[in-house]
Amino acid sequence: MVQFINMLLIGIGAGSIYALMAIAMVLVWRSTRVINFAQAGMALLSTYIGFELVQKTGNFWIALPLAMILGALFSALVEILLIRTLIKHSTSGPVAGIVPIIATLGLLGFIRAMIGFIWGNQDIQIQPPLSKVGFKFGEETISLSPMNLLVLLSVLAMVLVLGFIFQKTSLGLSLRASAYSPEIAQLAGIRVGAIRTIGWAIAGAAGAAAGLLQTVNGTGAVSPDSLEFSLLLTFGFIAAVIGGLESLPGAVLGAVVLGLVLAAVQIYISGTLVFIVAFALLLLVLLVRPQGFIGTKAGRRA
Amino acid sequence: MIRTNRRKLALTSAVLAVAAMTASSLPAQAASDPGVTSTSIKLGITVPMTGIASPGYNKIPGAMKAYFDYVNANGGVNGRKITLVIKDDQYIPTTAVAKANELILKDKVFALVGTLGTASTKAISASTQLAKRGIPSLFVNTGFSGFADAKAYPTTFSILPSYQMEAKIMGKFLKDKYADKKLALIYQDDDFGRDALAGFKQAGITFTTAIPYASGSQSLPATGAGWISKLKAAGTDVTVLFGVSSASTAALANAYAAGYKTQWVLGSVGGDATTIAATNKAYVPLLYGAKGFSFAPAPTDATDEYIKLFQSIYASAQPTQTFDNNVVAGMSNAFLAVQALQATGSNLTRAGLIKTIETKGATFASPFLTPLGYSASSHVGATGYWIGTYDPTGALKPDGGKYTVYTTDSGNGPVVESSYKRPAMPAKGLPN
Amino acid sequence: MLKKHPLIGFTLFGILLFLLSNRVDELRVFQGATVAIYVIAIASIILLTGYSGQVSLGHGALLAIGGYAAALARNHWGAPVWLTFVIAVLAAALGGYLLGLAAARLSGPYLAGTTLALAIGLPSIANQFPIFGGEQGLLYDIGMPPASLGEDFTQYKWYFWIASLAALLAIYWLRNVMASRYGRNWKAVRGNDVAAELAGINVGRNKVLAFTVSAGLAGLAGALLAMTISTVSPGAFPLALSFSLATGAVLSGVTTLGGVMIGAVTLVAIPEIVDTVVSRFESSDAVANNLPGLLVSTLLILTVLFVPNGPVEQLRARREHRVNK
Repeated sequence: MVQFINMLLIGIGAGSIYALMAIAMVLVWRSTRVINFAQAGMALLSTYIGFELVQKTGNFWIALPLAMILGALFSALVEILLIRTLIKHSTSGPVAGIVPIIATLGLLGFIRAMIGFIWGNQDIQIQPPLSKVGFKFGEETISLSPMNLLVLLSVLAMVLVLGFIFQKTSLGLSLRASAYSPEIAQLAGIRVGAIRTIGWAIAGAAGAAAGLLQTVNGTGAVSPDSLEFSLLLTFGFIAAVIGGLESLPGAVLGAVVLGLVLAAVQIYISGTLVFIVAFALLLLVLLVRPQGFIGTKAGRRA
Repeated sequence: MIRTNRRKLALTSAVLAVAAMTASSLPAQAASDPGVTSTSIKLGITVPMTGIASPGYNKIPGAMKAYFDYVNANGGVNGRKITLVIKDDQYIPTTAVAKANELILKDKVFALVGTLGTASTKAISASTQLAKRGIPSLFVNTGFSGFADAKAYPTTFSILPSYQMEAKIMGKFLKDKYADKKLALIYQDDDFGRDALAGFKQAGITFTTAIPYASGSQSLPATGAGWISKLKAAGTDVTVLFGVSSASTAALANAYAAGYKTQWVLGSVGGDATTIAATNKAYVPLLYGAKGFSFAPAPTDATDEYIKLFQSIYASAQPTQTFDNNVVAGMSNAFLAVQALQATGSNLTRAGLIKTIETKGATFASPFLTPLGYSASSHVGATGYWIGTYDPTGALKPDGGKYTVYTTDSGNGPVVESSYKRPAMPAKGLPN
Repeated sequence: MLKKHPLIGFTLFGILLFLLSNRVDELRVFQGATVAIYVIAIASIILLTGYSGQVSLGHGALLAIGGYAAALARNHWGAPVWLTFVIAVLAAALGGYLLGLAAARLSGPYLAGTTLALAIGLPSIANQFPIFGGEQGLLYDIGMPPASLGEDFTQYKWYFWIASLAALLAIYWLRNVMASRYGRNWKAVRGNDVAAELAGINVGRNKVLAFTVSAGLAGLAGALLAMTISTVSPGAFPLALSFSLATGAVLSGVTTLGGVMIGAVTLVAIPEIVDTVVSRFESSDAVANNLPGLLVSTLLILTVLFVPNGPVEQLRARREHRVNK
């Protein structure tokens, strides 16, 4: 029983990390119809900036929001300098499918190399702001620590704030309109370009939070080629896709399901299977319910 | 016309063949081997300088270079100065082969040193035909026992004891010390872990709980917590960790988070406190009380004459880097390379170098606390381990206050306590 | 004349390569073999993406299938070398067919992500079953060059001959396929699958077929790659390889086979050029280690920004533009 509860807690804890990344990917997808494979690289850069800020200020709680703001600015810059030109140049034909992917892969390599230039190819360390020791119930220490709780609350806060923006504000309306039909949105007087940039900026902030929180929640170490970030990208993407790629609650749901399935496999079956199971889960969802848990049928072929 | 040409061709190739045969039966001349002149020796290394496996390992070439420069400043090897050409292979076997080819064919190095990773080492050896061309590959950094086989890899020499040796020695230790305890094992589910399983089986150890993990999965957020939850449910007393250092970190950190107490026994690959400290200093105290295995002196042991020398050389060569186990590994590797070159004498040839290690290698001066196993039939380097306990600062202190070394082989041989006493370091740390 | 009779062109190019292989040194011959292998692998991506509109970021996994199939056939059944290549093609094509069935239902980013996940998931299978030799992999020895080629005929020259011949045959065959009904169907599907469906083309089946053929080529490339490093191991087919191949395809121009050499040569040349440049200067580790990555990624970004269709297509478009004026 205790093991089962721990399994749930571990799964949800891991899922909440994937969720932050999945949210970033969904935001970018909705605003520009691009899967940003550089998202992990941008999160990594934000984490390094967060590291510098922690060094300078000595306070994680100042560093986190500042890193998110800088992450948002960088992401907006990428949209303006790279993605905008890209979309202008290649709107149709086979290149339209592959060019944005390749461009973001190029960006990923570029960011990694730049980080290597500046900070070197060794690990840097960031210490967690909260305890990672699990809460105690009587004799039993459960797999939920204040640090886990912070990640969970961040995800919740992000979903609530973004949900509010999307559903209740005119900015949200514009964001949704330009995602579904840029032409009509344009005709309706929405500045589609600016709206796209804002979508990227919010994603950049979410990615920065994902990077920093995953790092302090994990080993606390980062290097330019950090495996954690490659895995974050892949698992965040899988979560976003099984969630439907269109919806923020879907992304969170997908992430939690992924986290739970992998935790169950690890604890009850075998730790050697995690990568294969993650792939099988992705394939299964795509074949059985291509629109994801929450998503419209048309989305997949767009 | 065609016929005469054919005959000419046949004649030429016959002459060539005879010439080639004579050439190979003559003792090779110094002038004929690439990479060595009367004033210089060129060595080459391929290592992951970037990529997933790079942090930590990418300090090895710098450490080697620091020691070579020290030797050069003190007159070199028989008057020859050593240069080290460094290539980044990103831990990808295809890249490693391409880089090794550049080293051999373009840079024309005399020998390869310190190749890292089993798959890369195997690919380089087979593709560049090291054995056929007689190119020495000195002191490859992998615990796969196969490279010690002089028949299969006649020009390759290992430096590390094999994983199987380690597991056998660890197995004996577990049996002697924790006979009535519930044992658990966390291991990487590939050849690395499977070699260890074979060794444990030979030692007659059975684990109540065995937790395999896919290489890389230790970096996922849920993995470490999952292990601890399983260990807790099984109620084990002693947990053996036979994985990489990121797996050790995940296990230690999550055990701490879950308030779980167990007697940790760490393998040498993942049990290095300095590597764990490079990941996160905060984890070092968690090592306190854990058992560790090593064949080299601990990098924190400043009373060791080799460590003292290496620390001072490295501090002036790489003042911004911390001195850790990777640095000790790199400098020990360079030390043994210099020792081998020195012992070969001033008429330096590839064949001569290999012959020297095979005949004199077992008596080489070395920083290691275990005997070296080099002979004409075996190219194994260090052949055993000493066992220690981590103190609160992360220093591995030998049990019983002195280094007690156990040796064994990668086959069915027994584990025995060794009477080997490391000879004093040659003057100024320069092999003679 | 060459345009009308491509066979003559290919033969001439083959003879040129043959002559060249006797003139250059061993390292260049090895690099030449690598270029030839990249040509095949990149062509397989161009076929998939440029001609049938599907995106794969996991081609490394298909190369791995080919490499492992060839090595297993050689080690377990002692299959002759040519047969191991055939087996590699068939095994990878089968894998591609299965993947294609899933892929035909997906598009763009979904497919890219799925193939990406495959590239990450597949190597861990190699560690599951001892037959694949685990992390260190399997030996794959195609043997010495035939004695009739002479004493000083090196192993790498032999690899170069085999890889070049395979590349020439593959590209020649691919050219013909493109000009056939299948090629036209693929293009139609790529252009607009609704219109293609209306024109009576079975879109799904054509997509699967394109994936299968592409995977077969990738399998051939995988076996050849394994040949040059004499081994197969999970580490030889990392995600970085899949990304490199996609990069090579974009640098070559993804809509046409004409530029396939450009990407292949660039992938092989850049690291060496950077190495040479870096070794000239006494530069710091951080610079030396990261310059190759920086250069390749910058080149990639500039390419997609300014010549997204590739240099060859760009030149052709410019020429047409001038003619039309």
